Amino acid sequence: MFLQQFVTGISVGGIYALLATGYSLIYSLLDFSNWAHGEFAMVGAYVAIVFSTMLNVPFVPAALAGIIGGAAISFLCERFAYRRIRKNGSPNMFLMIAAMGLSTVFQQAANLIFSGQYRSYPFKLPISTVHVANAYIGVLDLLSLVITAVILIGLVYMINKTQFGLNVRAIACNAPAAKVLGVKVDKSIASVFLLAGGLAGVAGILYGMKYNVFPTMGNVGLKAFISSVIGGLGSVPGAIVGALLLGVLETLVSGYISSSLRDFFSFALLIVLLLVKPSGLFGVEVQDKA
Amino acid sequence: MKRLLALLLALVMVFALAACGGSGKEETKPTEAPAAAEGEKEESEEAEEPEKAEEEEKAEEPEASGETIKIGYVSDLTGATALWGTAGQYGAEEAIKEVNAAGGVLGGRMLELVPMDGKGEPADSVTAFKNLVEQHDIVASIGTNFSSCNIPMAAVADELKVPILGTAASNELVTVDENGNLHPYSFRMCFIDSYLGTVVGNYAADTLKVKKAALFTVAGNTNSESVGQFIKDAFTSKGGEIVSEEQCQEGDVEFRAQLANIKNADPDIVFVIMNDYAKIATFAKQAREMGIECVMMGHDGWDSQQLAGEAEGALEGCLYVSRIGFSTPEAREFGEKIRDNYNTSMEAECLFGRDGVYWLVDAIERAGSADPTAIRDALEETDVFEGLIGTLVMDPATHNPSMACAIYKCEGDAFNFQEIVEAQ
Repeated sequence: MFLQQFVTGISVGGIYALLATGYSLIYSLLDFSNWAHGEFAMVGAYVAIVFSTMLNVPFVPAALAGIIGGAAISFLCERFAYRRIRKNGSPNMFLMIAAMGLSTVFQQAANLIFSGQYRSYPFKLPISTVHVANAYIGVLDLLSLVITAVILIGLVYMINKTQFGLNVRAIACNAPAAKVLGVKVDKSIASVFLLAGGLAGVAGILYGMKYNVFPTMGNVGLKAFISSVIGGLGSVPGAIVGALLLGVLETLVSGYISSSLRDFFSFALLIVLLLVKPSGLFGVEVQDKA
Repeated sequence: MKRLLALLLALVMVFALAACGGSGKEETKPTEAPAAAEGEKEESEEAEEPEKAEEEEKAEEPEASGETIKIGYVSDLTGATALWGTAGQYGAEEAIKEVNAAGGVLGGRMLELVPMDGKGEPADSVTAFKNLVEQHDIVASIGTNFSSCNIPMAAVADELKVPILGTAASNELVTVDENGNLHPYSFRMCFIDSYLGTVVGNYAADTLKVKKAALFTVAGNTNSESVGQFIKDAFTSKGGEIVSEEQCQEGDVEFRAQLANIKNADPDIVFVIMNDYAKIATFAKQAREMGIECVMMGHDGWDSQQLAGEAEGALEGCLYVSRIGFSTPEAREFGEKIRDNYNTSMEAECLFGRDGVYWLVDAIERAGSADPTAIRDALEETDVFEGLIGTLVMDPATHNPSMACAIYKCEGDAFNFQEIVEAQ
């Protein structure tokens, strides 16, 4: 029983993790929470729907198109909304407000274009499970966990070991200094948005495969945000750990206490953590974080 | 490169504008239907925007004599449950087109639907309804599909003296207040929770002869919790036992934590009282994945032509109780019209929207007037109304329609009609 709940929790947390890392990456550079991030996942999922069901493209290329779609919308938001606000010298609060606006616009646009209807991909895995010890693990869950793990390991490697990662860390640490030392700040930020959007696209497609695609699916972004705060805003490994922790906590609360209290516990954890360790589990010491 | 980016920006702005303008109050007339797609399993899915408010207005409608009669429609046109709100709107619009094409009502007066977004929220729905009455001079209003919205709207309707027809608002308090006094201007078209819950509970105990049941409901959803309670009462009064009671929250897509508990309790049947086909299908698939093999049973929230297909076999042999109407050839034909004209699949709400219009037309014709109070009187005096959802017999004392229930069983890719059942 416990093992089953734990496994379910990890599989729920895996999706949160893909989104939470995006939040964290963007936060680490721009010091604001990109509330439209969940909607990037939604856009990616819909792009894959358009390709796979309307244009009859096979699923894998359609999914790739979805990932590119997520990356593109993220890039465009940065290029035309966030960058302008940054250049105006407006406070970071403006970025967050713009993100909230974008989130609503995307959600409404999806509603208008695709209606509130649930869509599903023509690519279906048979309903089958792997039975390990006392737990049933769905094949789709297993697959999405593997995909998530591979991507996240790649991401952590990229941040820590490549020139791009170094640039990103430099900007996160001190953007003006990084610029003086020759780091192309705007370009790096744009690349991070592309990357975060792509990750959101993967999350959107995996989420869509498990639970269908619908206009408000981006609301899962809230959970990812909590995960990234738990892990420490701005820390990629922190976001991953926070996401898995949140997924397991939610499942255990739903299973052993009551699903009505699930969100109560999630937010309580958030509040306790903010009181006891405001920088989160893995966070760097900073004051002005959301 | 710059030019390309500027073009993309312009596109994004167009979307934004469309999104801002689309959900509002303007009457939404569909443009010519996007070419219908194959009648295969999935509905036609052109990327066509269902952009409405278009120039074609009323140009080609038959010449109107007298003032247009405005009918309001309040529902959740945006947000998480917009699927049903818009489905009802499409059904009502389609019905109004049919009525107008056939010459309108009262010897040639045209009908017009004025939809307004109540967001599925009580306060927004009341405001939308007031707005429709005060700014748009509607004579009656259709919607909503939420009891939580219709309960406060009922008192307002009595005050403004404009009748409302709840669609799927099934709580007893929609038409009568806590003291049992009738809301004279509030009507409904669906079963009440107690009736449906009792039918489901009795059927499981008497016909399926199961003893141990698990009950799964949506916390905070009036319909789900209330029907669930009546199922529980009926089932236990017949000697059955509820061995596991679990809930999820509105909008949840992950049920395995609760399913693990259900599996532990080892029930003979699981009552799944949710109102959303995709969630029901997900629930069923997750249940089967976790090794829960028993039959599942639901209420009219299962009414969707997509449920069986979406569940991919996970609901095989499972049952639900609903109106007779959903599977008739007439209803299917109407569903095809909706699919062709609005690029969306048919939900039960389409039929409610459609029947709401026809019931009002029937009342207006019998009243011989489009005065709201006269319409109210005629609605109350409705003897029998033959709609696509079923034959509705109105009880003037409670404004609750009585309709026979039908049992549907999942066989392959569809739910098929099994038999007619009554409460008791």
